Amino acid sequence: MSAVTNVLPYAVAAWLFGVGLYGIATSRNFIHLVGCLGVCQSATYVLLLGLGYRWGSIAPIFYDHPPGTPAVDPVMQALVLTDIVVGATLTALLLVLTVQAYKRGGSLDPGKLRPMRAGGQTDRDRSSDRGRPAA
Amino acid sequence: MTFVPATLLPLTVAIPMVFCAVLLATAHLLPSRVPDILALLAALAVAILSAVIAVQAADKPLVYWFGGWEPRDGVHLGIGFSVDAASGWIAAFIGLLYALTFVFAWGFFDRTHGHFHILMLLFLAAMVGFCFTRDMFNLFVWFEVMSVAAFALTAYHLAESSLAGAINFTVVNSLAGFLMLGGIGLIYAQTGTLDFDGIAAAVAQGGRSPVVAGAFCLVAAALMIKGAIVPFQFWLADAHAVAPSPVSVIFSGSMVSLGLFGLAKVSAVVFGGSDQVQGALPALLIGLGSVTALLGGWMALLQRHLKRMLAFSTISHAGIMLTGLGALSAGGTGGMLVYVVGHGLVKGALFMIAGILLATQASIDEIALRGLGRRIWPAGIAMALAGFLLCGLPLGALDQGTRLVQGALSQQGHGIALAATAIGAALTGAAVLRAAGRIFLGLGPDPGDEAGAPSADEREKANRPLWLMLAPCCILLAVDIVLPPDLIAHALPRAVSAFTHRPETGPLGEGPGWLPWFSVAAALAGAGYGLFRKRLPPVLVRPVHVTQSAPTRALEILHSGLIGDYAAWLAVGVAVIAAVLAMV
Repeated sequence: MSAVTNVLPYAVAAWLFGVGLYGIATSRNFIHLVGCLGVCQSATYVLLLGLGYRWGSIAPIFYDHPPGTPAVDPVMQALVLTDIVVGATLTALLLVLTVQAYKRGGSLDPGKLRPMRAGGQTDRDRSSDRGRPAA
Repeated sequence: MTFVPATLLPLTVAIPMVFCAVLLATAHLLPSRVPDILALLAALAVAILSAVIAVQAADKPLVYWFGGWEPRDGVHLGIGFSVDAASGWIAAFIGLLYALTFVFAWGFFDRTHGHFHILMLLFLAAMVGFCFTRDMFNLFVWFEVMSVAAFALTAYHLAESSLAGAINFTVVNSLAGFLMLGGIGLIYAQTGTLDFDGIAAAVAQGGRSPVVAGAFCLVAAALMIKGAIVPFQFWLADAHAVAPSPVSVIFSGSMVSLGLFGLAKVSAVVFGGSDQVQGALPALLIGLGSVTALLGGWMALLQRHLKRMLAFSTISHAGIMLTGLGALSAGGTGGMLVYVVGHGLVKGALFMIAGILLATQASIDEIALRGLGRRIWPAGIAMALAGFLLCGLPLGALDQGTRLVQGALSQQGHGIALAATAIGAALTGAAVLRAAGRIFLGLGPDPGDEAGAPSADEREKANRPLWLMLAPCCILLAVDIVLPPDLIAHALPRAVSAFTHRPETGPLGEGPGWLPWFSVAAALAGAGYGLFRKRLPPVLVRPVHVTQSAPTRALEILHSGLIGDYAAWLAVGVAVIAAVLAMV
């Protein structure tokens, strides 16, 4: 294949990661930030699929093909699958944390929810909640 | 039937996982102390099994292939565990740290249906798997399991500070996971295998290749993020300061150093055959390590929130470990491995003392706690001892690790890095000793720059007797002191050779004997300056005050707590690693 199609997946992956990182760096809203993290992660999907793809090959299922037919790399597919699971876990966990932070801080702005710094409220009035996770 | 030690390997991961599943299914039915007991037993079992494995692996690494998928004709399809003596002992140390943490946290989390124990056991299984695996993708999986358990544990209290800290931690470490996966994809595309040895052979044959360098850049960045190396260190202070204190013990004692342990393994074994990577490592690791050691130490000295101070101290010590790694010699790597254990023991004890203060005095603020520690004076003795060990008192495993690292650095003429290790240790020791003096002796009426540092009111449950919390802390310190230096010095050269897959060298050299004493003296001077600033003649105080105030404020602004800034610094860090690799 031509040089363009060879380089394209890597260029797209790098661009996606850069754009996602820019989004995280400038985000003013945690939910937007979680979305940007998802964009960063899509970069890894594109990279892995681009690395494993073979032009003119079949999917690695040999049920109706003779063994030895050129196939795309099944290991990369396994990696992407795991990556998707990891991504789902992280997104769910981050959204839970965001919801809880909103309940307590009343804001989704990272600038207002800085750990232990002015800008957020003190935890003094809620100290009776400490040591006990919410149900 | 003969006893095959290799069959023990999967048990070290399976046992905590099985306990985890059992607890998850039954914890709501069990009486409240049963999860404590089960978790303690699981951690002890892991520690003992790992020690047995480490002894068995002294001559030759043990290898176990899951499902019997052994490599055939040089093709690695299966996933394996491979344990050399060093990895085994590190896993045994982690098991011990968990067991003592479970004792420390006895009854700490009441109405939780054992969730704390479940997450902790998952965390333990991931750490042991991370130590034992010989497969790049498996390494990534353990890395992620470790991260997810850690994220959930950080936010355990669900208070505002801990949520904000946990979000910063999660975002930065997720990015680390993505970088690592990208690097693993690249190295697989280049070499066609995920097995450490398989990749190493292919890399050694392949010659100079930008793909290998790129893969190393991404994987190294990910592990350095875990290891809290400048400029990736920001998440650590936020996360460690707000996590429940038993969790902070594990974070600082083992999670951070495991990142560097992974980096040691990957750079020595997997990328050992790449001249480009090996050429870039000394400048990269020693440079970043020295900066980290100094910056972490300085930041530690400026804190008033005890856990945040200890967190910055961990950053400083991670930097010292990295310089040992950067020496690329048996002495440096061996010193770093001993340092991981020694540092974990001492730092774990210090976080336990912070937890004791939180539980008994209901505060974690050094200035608010002034003089309040008198009633619990035994904790003060432990804190002072830990502070002296931290800054380099020539006693115990931490000191042995320090000497070996310094020996490797001085052998190769890295004078600046040598000074950075001594000064970094002195600064963190000074911070801990100053806090001990202020809290337990009531010294120092005048807080200086640390008065303006961030702090938050915290409280942890006061339902445990002092001796129950103090006992595990004292055991940690005792283990650090009684670990036999001769035995370690004797076994280390062979263990390092098996760890790095390099031929064995002679006995390992130690650094100059006066250097640890210099660190102790400097730490005492620093702590004294912090406490008695008012009583010193102004001729002494003013120049120090004038020169350090501006950079101090700049540093505190830099550690802004804003996740956006951290992401930007992360990009800078990856660019620095790539630039150093490109220059070789």
